[in-house]
Amino acid sequence: MASKPVTAPVPITWYPTLAVFMLSIGLLITASFFIYEATSSRKTRSLPKELTTGALASFFLGFGSLFLLLASGVYV
Amino acid sequence: MEASLRAQRTAALLIFAFLSLLAVSSSAAQEIQILNAERRIDLSSQIAIVFLTLKVENTGKAAASEVLLSFPPTEADHLAEVKAQAASGKKRKKTHVPLDVKPTDVPDAPKGAKCFRIALLNPLSPGETSTIEVLYMLTHSMEPFPAEISQSEPQLVYYRDSAYILSPYRIKQQTTFIKTPSTNVLSFSRVEPTNRAGMELKYGPYEDRPAYSFSPVLVHFENNNPFAVVEELVREVEISHWGNLQITEHYTLAHGGAKLKGVFSRVDYQSRPGASGVSSFKNLLARLPPRVHSVYYRDEIGNISSSRLRTDSRKSELEIEPRYPLFGGWKSTFVIGYGLPLEDFLFESTDGKRYLNFTFGCPLSGTVVDKLTVKVVLPEGSKDPSAVVPFPVEQHMETKYSYLDVVGRPVLVLEKKNVVPEHNTLFQVYYSFNPVFMLAEPLMLVSTVFFLFAACVAYLHIDVSIRKR
Repeated sequence: MASKPVTAPVPITWYPTLAVFMLSIGLLITASFFIYEATSSRKTRSLPKELTTGALASFFLGFGSLFLLLASGVYV
Repeated sequence: MEASLRAQRTAALLIFAFLSLLAVSSSAAQEIQILNAERRIDLSSQIAIVFLTLKVENTGKAAASEVLLSFPPTEADHLAEVKAQAASGKKRKKTHVPLDVKPTDVPDAPKGAKCFRIALLNPLSPGETSTIEVLYMLTHSMEPFPAEISQSEPQLVYYRDSAYILSPYRIKQQTTFIKTPSTNVLSFSRVEPTNRAGMELKYGPYEDRPAYSFSPVLVHFENNNPFAVVEELVREVEISHWGNLQITEHYTLAHGGAKLKGVFSRVDYQSRPGASGVSSFKNLLARLPPRVHSVYYRDEIGNISSSRLRTDSRKSELEIEPRYPLFGGWKSTFVIGYGLPLEDFLFESTDGKRYLNFTFGCPLSGTVVDKLTVKVVLPEGSKDPSAVVPFPVEQHMETKYSYLDVVGRPVLVLEKKNVVPEHNTLFQVYYSFNPVFMLAEPLMLVSTVFFLFAACVAYLHIDVSIRKR
């Protein structure tokens, strides 16, 4: 019975690099979200744009923090 | 009248003959005789290792498919492992085939004797002989006497056994050899013919002993080998599909030999190592798998720095030195933890189930574990866990809440008593896991952060002023 070993979905050596890149992209998008909020007035604000920016930022920040936890040894 | 009497008599005779035939056939079903039995008892360490070679002959009329072994009740409680193999061939070309050994109940055994049934590969036909080798190990069978010794005295122990091998069969010829760790044997019971040569005691050869014959003997000898007993060991194996296996082991270590009487003098211990504390031990060796990382050794006070880790490509050795040397009756509790790469131990079988292939048993070499608990923590979302262990263990399920858990992780708990280094073999835990569940953790983080953003958006859109802006 040939059994193949189960490996992680992403190579372990990539974890720190992925963490840094995803968190930095996430923080950039968060920055753009808050800049949009600060520079727009009540009339020019568009809800879909805010929500998509928020969703994209949370995606990158969420995965970035997961890889940060894995890279620091907390294997969740 | 006479005819009816005669008929009654013949009927009675027929019934009697039938019953006697039945009785004879049931007792002749397993008529086995042991032609030659040789027992070698090795008392060099704290575990008594007994190697029994039996030359078995079938003297009955039916083929015998099993051979019974029996142990006296005192030995049966301390029995850690019984293994049997069939030996065939001549001296150089011996082949060994392992045989199945199972505990069994024999109704006519003397009170308390525990019996084991060895299943033979090919049934032994009448008149045929076969050689069976049995290996069994006894723990806590050497009683320290005197029970308390001072720091400068050596450790002397009693070993109790029988000069005749306890067996449900008649033994034509038997010899027992007892090997002691040193030449210092204070006394031994004599059951003629008995001989002693250096480190070996020979009881026998004894001719033609009936079944269940027993003659107690007592050997009083010096055994300074470390009596390292782990009273309780809890091993937790946490599987993370992101690439790591985290093992945490909680030990309660004790010295199981003669208790220390009087004060412990550090000056004596350090200045005269050969004459002081000869039965104490100060370090233990743990054999770990290769590619181990993040090894820690700590107790309730904090980290214990007196340890050394040596790794190579095939194994890792962790040599630990507790904060103080262990003398008789002293205890030490500590935690050893380490991480291992997942691909060495977790595999996917052909039917889609994943399984963990890991060692059961204490990694500390030369120790006896009184109670071992192995907890395998499976990732969240695993279903149908089952364990395949080569020896009997008690199983039950628990739940553990760990990092980013919602419903908890299923834990399979395996418990075993009286574990010796022979039990350090591989066992498997099978479970089914849908890889989609791995996304649950990052999605939980993503949704938490998104909730914060949505709260921000909501705050900026809500108008809480009384006057219209």
